Amino acid sequence: MIRARVLAAVLVVAGVAAIAVGHHYRPAAEPPRSMPSSPAVARSAASSAAAASALTRGDLLPTSPPTRVRIPALRVDEAVTGLGQNPDGSMQVPTDAHTVGWYTGAPTPGALGPAVLAGHVNYKGADGTFARLSTLHPGDQVEVTRQDGITAVFTVTDVDRYAKDRFPATAVYGAIDHAGLRLITCGGDFDTRTGHYTDNIVAYAELRSTE
Amino acid sequence: MTFRRALLTAPVVATLLLATPTAALADESVQVKLLELNHSGASGTATLTATDRGDLRISIRSRGLVPNSPHAQHLHGSTAGMDFHCPDMSADRDGNGYVSTEEGMPVYGDIFVSLTTAGDTAKASGLAVDRMPVADASGNLRYDRTIAAADLPPGTVEHLKDLHIVQHGVDADGNGKYDMAGLGESTLAKSAGLTGIPEEATDPALCGMVSGAAAGSVPVGGVATGDGSTRDRAAVWYGTGGLALLAALGIVVVTRRRSYVPSRNQR
Repeated sequence: MIRARVLAAVLVVAGVAAIAVGHHYRPAAEPPRSMPSSPAVARSAASSAAAASALTRGDLLPTSPPTRVRIPALRVDEAVTGLGQNPDGSMQVPTDAHTVGWYTGAPTPGALGPAVLAGHVNYKGADGTFARLSTLHPGDQVEVTRQDGITAVFTVTDVDRYAKDRFPATAVYGAIDHAGLRLITCGGDFDTRTGHYTDNIVAYAELRSTE
Repeated sequence: MTFRRALLTAPVVATLLLATPTAALADESVQVKLLELNHSGASGTATLTATDRGDLRISIRSRGLVPNSPHAQHLHGSTAGMDFHCPDMSADRDGNGYVSTEEGMPVYGDIFVSLTTAGDTAKASGLAVDRMPVADASGNLRYDRTIAAADLPPGTVEHLKDLHIVQHGVDADGNGKYDMAGLGESTLAKSAGLTGIPEEATDPALCGMVSGAAAGSVPVGGVATGDGSTRDRAAVWYGTGGLALLAALGIVVVTRRRSYVPSRNQR
């Protein structure tokens, strides 16, 4: 009788612990799916039409590739590698869960234009560096250290979710009048047939200061 | 043997290629806004794209230019970190109401690349009007050319954002063409040894400054940043926890019943 009670107590403790662990691993909350007409585009178009004398907005750094990215709100501090394109024209992705990739076909972080960093949400059984990217809020900081030793400090302006087959190429890769940053990972449902997530999470940020 | 070695080394090389940042420089596409100079009434946009091979693709769309006339056009500026920009009318030192090319140069810099339609693109081709694009009857001008990396001055791609596009050719007297009657003979052309070229043909009409930048090559579709491998982890833990609690409940119920039933029989 006592043995059964002990077993029940152990099971209760184990069950609660397991649920706590599950809660710890729960998927990050995600923003609702947006349509490709992002507010980021409208904003930059509006401001570039404004002043003729100053056609660009904010601080701009010269070209220098990124080496490290820090996102205090997500406790992220990771090395950055270069990413090109796959033979099919899609963007390469990092070969491990932790390293963050900088897309070399776009400007460097801190220079005029959209710099693009991609990281896994999960990969080969491990949570990726960008596992909780969808929980970033406008105002959160993203710090990118560059080869020239300068750290470009960005603040998040928007976090959106898009269906991959309606990826907003213009909003993410298109022309902007300031030094911008886009952080990309996966989200939405997982399609077990293709082995891919159906959506991408994109966090948009703007250069605020340099260190 | 060699085949086997190739089999072994290929993945190593591939891994190295993937591991190191593939390019020190970003491909980028620089947007230029062409603003009117000398009250030309013209406007335009241009895109300068550095390709991954180091070539420079130039695309210019202007309107409101002198129709059916060639418009000399160049990249002005320097890669030496000089702070050149587009001039305003205060650059008109001789006060004739027009900023000439000579008056503009201290502000926007010397010719860096001549944007000819064919052949040489060096500074020496700056006045090669026979190889400059011609505006159509409505004054619209379209220009598209890719200049090979080998034909670009060193540092062009790295300093794209420091360069300015200038398009020349105004119609001062409003007669729809370049002639001596407008502003006389071009002193710039004359100093280069070309006589009989009207000043109207060489005075700048548009000057472009960088207004934005985009990715140089846009990847296809979304980004495959996840394999779903930890996606079910929470569900598995929740499930396990739930089962454990259920089992505990089961044990409690069973032991309660067992302890209850005998006590009833005893009575």
